[in-house]
Amino acid sequence: MSVFGDTWSYLLDGASWAGDDGMLRLLLQQLLLTVTALGLASGVGLPLACWLGHLGRGGFLAINISNVGRAVPTFALLALLVTMDWPGVDTFGPYGRAGIATLLALTAFALPPIITNSYVAVHEVPGDVKESARGMGMTAGQQFFRVELPLALPLIVGGVRLALVQVWATATIAALVAGPGLGRVITDGFANTYYGKGIAGAVVVALVALALELLAAAVQRMVDPLPRAAVRRKTQTLVAAAAE
Amino acid sequence: MQVRRTLATVIATSTVLLGAACAGDDLSKDSANPSGSGSTAGTGDKGAVKISGQNFPEATLVASMYEQLLDAKGYDASVTLVGTRDVYMAKGQFPDGVQVVPEYVGGILDFLNTTANGPKAEPITTSDAAASIAAGQSLLEDKGITLLDPSTASDTNAFFVSKEYADSEGVSKLSDLEGKSVKLAAAPDCKGRSDCEGGLTDVYGIDITELLPLGYASEQTYKSVLDGESQLGETSTTDGALESQGLVLLEDDKAIQPAQNLVPAVSSEWIANHQDAADALNALMAALTTEKLTELNGQVTVDRAQPEDVAKSFLEDEGLI
Repeated sequence: MSVFGDTWSYLLDGASWAGDDGMLRLLLQQLLLTVTALGLASGVGLPLACWLGHLGRGGFLAINISNVGRAVPTFALLALLVTMDWPGVDTFGPYGRAGIATLLALTAFALPPIITNSYVAVHEVPGDVKESARGMGMTAGQQFFRVELPLALPLIVGGVRLALVQVWATATIAALVAGPGLGRVITDGFANTYYGKGIAGAVVVALVALALELLAAAVQRMVDPLPRAAVRRKTQTLVAAAAE
Repeated sequence: MQVRRTLATVIATSTVLLGAACAGDDLSKDSANPSGSGSTAGTGDKGAVKISGQNFPEATLVASMYEQLLDAKGYDASVTLVGTRDVYMAKGQFPDGVQVVPEYVGGILDFLNTTANGPKAEPITTSDAAASIAAGQSLLEDKGITLLDPSTASDTNAFFVSKEYADSEGVSKLSDLEGKSVKLAAAPDCKGRSDCEGGLTDVYGIDITELLPLGYASEQTYKSVLDGESQLGETSTTDGALESQGLVLLEDDKAIQPAQNLVPAVSSEWIANHQDAADALNALMAALTTEKLTELNGQVTVDRAQPEDVAKSFLEDEGLI
């Protein structure tokens, strides 16, 4: 039987999805892991980068420090974390074995795109717009929340979107420390010369990555203050007016 | 503005540096290539020999023995170690682009059997090396692979527990674990295999509650057993690192392990014209024993000696080079 035939039949077999080490549970586990890591990274990265972008300084330092998360291979960080006494490999609730270590490694990986994009987005709001806001007597807070943030939002969300897809696909490395997620299907398949299974795992990861990407793209389009169609511009102006 | 300019400078500089780094990389690769993987280069007048193998300590050590032995015979040998058998058995690798691989009788035969006949193929290997090779002869011929003389040194899967567990549960052989529930830390391919999870469950009647794919004799596997996360760990009979860590090897008293004698796997086409290489490798196989190999492994994994140095002194002591 061909490898792709194997892949197809593995994907169609209900037994591959069911049970404790079935793909469905692993998929949900990896989604949970991805969302949590992204949430942690956003919680740390967004306020910091937006604030620095607003101030217009310190971004060089923040971007380069967070880039350590990109420069240090995520797997190396993960391997290091699991050998330490804390976080180690202890099972962490629904996150499974080495849950905390995996979360930390993925959070570090998610930080660079979030920080870089947010900083640049807020910082690059045109100077004359900022000046007008100040001229109208806005406080720094008003200037940020009513002028800079709306204009910067598409790019900020772009950073989160980038991080989301990257973290989702990278989360598979957790399998190398017997951790959570769909990576286990891939490593199991290849380790047992059952390539169909390994490829099936990779296909599922890729399909979900696409779905997440489309979802995030839709969100990004939604927050764009300069929509494409005139009709939509009209509705949004009305919505904005109603909101105020 | 100032920050923007700084950023632009940084990006421009890093682009240049990246370019330089790439160029440097190319150069260093070029200069490293002619001398193989960085160890002693032979005179090379009998042509180049590519050796591949898996990159766990014992295979690294044995591959280094092959390399130095063939170099001494006038070949220009080079070693490329990879993560799994699949990589060097892929198309264009062994036995086409790679001529010699340090192998294990059961390991390579089972691999050929499952790749030819599917993941659930009937096993062809037994605890008898010669019988196993005879059973796999047609598979070997199909691939163009020749196995030279198997060594008496044998590296089968084996299982260990921590000293505390052995003492408190009174365990010294695998059958002592019958009916007990254990977590097993093992290689990712362990599940269902008759020499691993399958055999432990079916032949020994051990209840394996969870299988952690932490690797074969890996640091992670040792740690998992030492921490008490899992009770049973997978390693090899030639593991030189167990005793110093307070780990106890359990006897395979019901013989679920197929023969895993060390054996050089060579390209049939290449070996036909290089009988002297076959003679040299056969002499090496005759010199190795399980005890000797365990001791040499210990020098590498416990004493942190370089595999090349350990291989060299062994070859010299045995008068092979």
